Amino acid sequence: MKLPISWLKEFVDVDVDVQVICDALVNVGFEVEEIINYGEGISGVVVGKITEINKHPDADKLKICQVDVGKEVVTIVTGASNVNVGDVVPVALDGATLPDKTIKAAPLRGVMSYGMMCSGGELKISDAFVDGASVDGILILNDDLPLGRDIVSALELQETVLDVSITANRPDCHSILGLSREVATALNYGKGNASTRNAYVKFKMPSFEFCQHDVSANIPLVSVTSPDCPVYSSALIGDIKIDKSPKWMQRRLFMCGINPINNVVDITNYVLLEIGQPLHAFDLSMIEGNINVRRANDKEKIVALNDESYEMTGEMTLICDDKKALAIAGVMGGKYSGINDETKNVFLESARFSRGSVRSTSLKIGLRSDSSARFERGVDFYGVEYGRKRALALFEQLGAGRVLVDRPIIMPQSKVVTTTIDEINGLLGIELPKKNMIEILQSLGMDVVSEFRTLVVTIPAYREDIDNYTDLAEEIIRFYGYDNLGETFMPTAAVTVGGMTHKQKRIEETKDLLCAFGAYEIMTYSFTDENVYDKLNLDESDERRKAIKIINPISEDLSIMKTELVSGMISTISTNLTRKNDNFRLFELARVYQAQFPIKELPNENDVLCVGLVGANESFYELKNIFVSLLERFGVEFELTESAEPYLHPGISASLAVGGKVICSFGKIHPLVAKNFGIKKSDFSIGSIDLQAITVKKDTVAKYKPLPKFPPVERDLAFVVAESAAVGKIITAIKAQNSLVGDVELFDVYRGEQIEKGYKSVALKIKLVPKEKTLVDAEISNVMNAVVQMIKTDFDARVRE
Amino acid sequence: MKQKIVDLVESTKAKIDKAISAKELTDLKVEVLGKSGELTLILRGLKDLPEADRPIMGKVVNEARVALEKAIGSKIGELERKELNEKLMSERIDITIDNKRELGKIHPLNAIKRKAINFFVSMGFIVTDSPEIETTYYNFDMLNIPFDHPAREMQDTFFVTDKIILRTQTSSGQVRTMEKVKPPIKMISPGRVFRSDEADATHTPCFHQLEGLVVDKGITMCDLKGMLASFAKHFFSENSSVRFRPSHFPFTEPSVEVDASCPHCGGKGCNVCKGTGWIEILGAGMVNRRVLSGCGIDPDVYTGFAFGVGLDRITAICHGINDARVPFEGDIRFLKQF
Repeated sequence: MKLPISWLKEFVDVDVDVQVICDALVNVGFEVEEIINYGEGISGVVVGKITEINKHPDADKLKICQVDVGKEVVTIVTGASNVNVGDVVPVALDGATLPDKTIKAAPLRGVMSYGMMCSGGELKISDAFVDGASVDGILILNDDLPLGRDIVSALELQETVLDVSITANRPDCHSILGLSREVATALNYGKGNASTRNAYVKFKMPSFEFCQHDVSANIPLVSVTSPDCPVYSSALIGDIKIDKSPKWMQRRLFMCGINPINNVVDITNYVLLEIGQPLHAFDLSMIEGNINVRRANDKEKIVALNDESYEMTGEMTLICDDKKALAIAGVMGGKYSGINDETKNVFLESARFSRGSVRSTSLKIGLRSDSSARFERGVDFYGVEYGRKRALALFEQLGAGRVLVDRPIIMPQSKVVTTTIDEINGLLGIELPKKNMIEILQSLGMDVVSEFRTLVVTIPAYREDIDNYTDLAEEIIRFYGYDNLGETFMPTAAVTVGGMTHKQKRIEETKDLLCAFGAYEIMTYSFTDENVYDKLNLDESDERRKAIKIINPISEDLSIMKTELVSGMISTISTNLTRKNDNFRLFELARVYQAQFPIKELPNENDVLCVGLVGANESFYELKNIFVSLLERFGVEFELTESAEPYLHPGISASLAVGGKVICSFGKIHPLVAKNFGIKKSDFSIGSIDLQAITVKKDTVAKYKPLPKFPPVERDLAFVVAESAAVGKIITAIKAQNSLVGDVELFDVYRGEQIEKGYKSVALKIKLVPKEKTLVDAEISNVMNAVVQMIKTDFDARVRE
Repeated sequence: MKQKIVDLVESTKAKIDKAISAKELTDLKVEVLGKSGELTLILRGLKDLPEADRPIMGKVVNEARVALEKAIGSKIGELERKELNEKLMSERIDITIDNKRELGKIHPLNAIKRKAINFFVSMGFIVTDSPEIETTYYNFDMLNIPFDHPAREMQDTFFVTDKIILRTQTSSGQVRTMEKVKPPIKMISPGRVFRSDEADATHTPCFHQLEGLVVDKGITMCDLKGMLASFAKHFFSENSSVRFRPSHFPFTEPSVEVDASCPHCGGKGCNVCKGTGWIEILGAGMVNRRVLSGCGIDPDVYTGFAFGVGLDRITAICHGINDARVPFEGDIRFLKQF
């Protein structure tokens, strides 16, 4: 919202520095985004009159002008074609500054020029400030301006405009009036108000005075059938004299970003800015019969003021007469009912349209206007009534027409909030006296009746955001100042037991374990590209292809919710490899999303851990160790199985199953998948695990087993088996052979000389742990013989002596 | 005879001193103290002395023997230590070489999140999780964000269906907690949120918030300020302070933006705080009565406060990260810095 300081000062009788006003606004919750200074950067520019024009001896396009600037006559060489003797113009003298340049006396084609005559553009002004300022050429001024006078004061160019950002709860402050009320209250009661505390700042209302000249005039009747128009008021103005509006009005519209058009349209826009009420002026002669505010018919068409044709749908609202649509409610008027040079009588609309309806209409047809922007934020009954009245007062003030009839609305009953000072102080936690509370609320336009500690507050119609005592508390502390709040530590609150849930703790512990394994945590977006499933080689029927789609994604590559973390990990590995980073371990712990289609319920969100190992020293076994250690750490029992993951190397991959369900797969990346992700070297390992088995596993309290009392006996066993024999299975079988067998450790696997192809030599260290007494040789031999026999029969092993 | 013994001791000690190996010394020991060693021979010669002199000379011989044995023993010990030391020194390694299996690190954002969680847990807050894919009911309706509020428009929210969205704020967790748990409530809900912003230096479509909520009898806005001031002190530094600025959120009333004194310059003004000495760290306020009553909590009995911290933002502030996209890239050189 643009706030010209001169406009503000019409309502707030104060003469303080702009910075004081900015601080006042910021302190009560309105950020000042920009301070725009008109007339800034202009100095040494004066009013001058051209007294003589001669041709330049050496240049056809240049003229040598003698310009009277009051104290002296200076020679100025110009290339402008629109100047004549007798013209009064802005003259930038030697040493003058303009917003974009500095002027120095200099020869032009051999003739000294002691300054420059300026265009409106060079002074950064338009026709709204001075007629002729928008012309491409020198700005020709009124010839009654005193020669030599500084141009900034002569043309009243000086103005400061604040660009203020307004929070969504304060549509009333999208108006000069609303912001003025805030500023006045802040200056009188706000913090940092030392400069104004002793001089009470008066807040004045704009004039709503006008006469109705012909209450019996024939004004169209209005019927409202659309539910999106809670109130519609109107007035009739006759004897319209279409003209330009006065400069002060044009200038303010211009500084607030609205182009002046003519007095009638300018008045409606002026009220939009000042009171915050969008108005619409119809040419009465274009209205056939009466006004009907109704829902549009499907596919009904209307040509708007911008010459574009728009097609309506059934939930949009139109302003119509008996024959045709006149305007798109709250958005834009129709081309064939607008104000034109021939307009004699104006039918003025001041209405309230629901913000949701205006927003969706404006969005659907792709048409925004100052009016629709205002309705979207919310318009109140006060604005409907006083916006229209203000416009009528301006019609009278400007002589733009004679007010014939005004049709006011019946204002709804005012909201009353009853509270106590204790309730307000109780919420804030301070002891603010009643007097301060009442002062602030009254200054904001509320009526306060107080008896003892009770406050009965009547809320003005422009404050629809105020509903209960907490809203009043906010108003009070906003002005009294949040710096006056102390810092307390919940003296009245109960003591509570805090902490993370079991699941959260497990997740954090898992992350710490991964860090201990040397892995760094990454975070990637939760959405990805649908084509990652092809890149991962997933089967057409793979459940992970059933991803949740985002209806309005930013782009295709961020359009589905991840059902797996592997693709993101491979992409991150790829990013690192491209940047010549190698030798690293990464992990990501995040949610994946799986829904039942069609989606009616919220999807499942499962915590998944994904690990990637990259580098020459990494191997399948390193990765296996991480996942196995993790499950063992939390006491989750699992089985090792073959992996069927299509993105893994079929010979160098495995899965872990819990309760018969695979929860984890890992291994070397499949070379084709690496290639799909743009990675040439495919020597990295990747794996992921569904963490549910870990997060739901309860903490168990371990039961102490007495340590063995007798020394263990170690025996080495070397044997040759087929390559296909799994050492892990042999070890498990040996352990199961006899209860005396404790640890069995693999210490060598050998292939090569003396071992025929397709076989491997395996060496194990077997530890026998006696339970009741020291083992004798015979017992040891018995166990070992049984073991040897078992591996011969069960694994076709040849024992090496 | 006595002189002979003294001479023998002297000459032997000289030999001991000169000895450079343990073998020399054991040889010397045999030579002097052995069965037919010089001192042994002298001892045998005692029997030729007069009876009266024998005990005196015997004592002298014994003292000489003890002294020499001790001298040889200690010299052997010295030489063995020296030899061991030489052997050990010969095993000396190059300590500047690494055989590194480094520790990894959690992501800086999660490290910041943990730090925040630890503080609030120490204050008796429970930590809750809530869905990242959420209903409009919990994300908007129950938070007093009516259907025609601008925040509900397509440009901000990712939609899955017309009623299911990617949550735009962790505040949805407030409602879910209040529906299940009745006051006294102290909870935080950290997590991932989504808004349809194109990624740039200050925005990413995924980011993270930590929501906090306290509901009990007599909770005041000063309690909110006290809690957040204490948080800032634990989180940034002992000298940190907070200030409130008026703001607006549909789910709190009154609502404030909260600034902390700039952790980089301590409030003097620097380029991080753009010269103001303050940086915005979170939004907060007293829980809106409509939100409380919507969750079945009587707003005439209970009051509460809520706050929402932008974790990505405070991570960026703490570490001086000037591009919001980089933390999501997973470049190992980035991850190792924290």
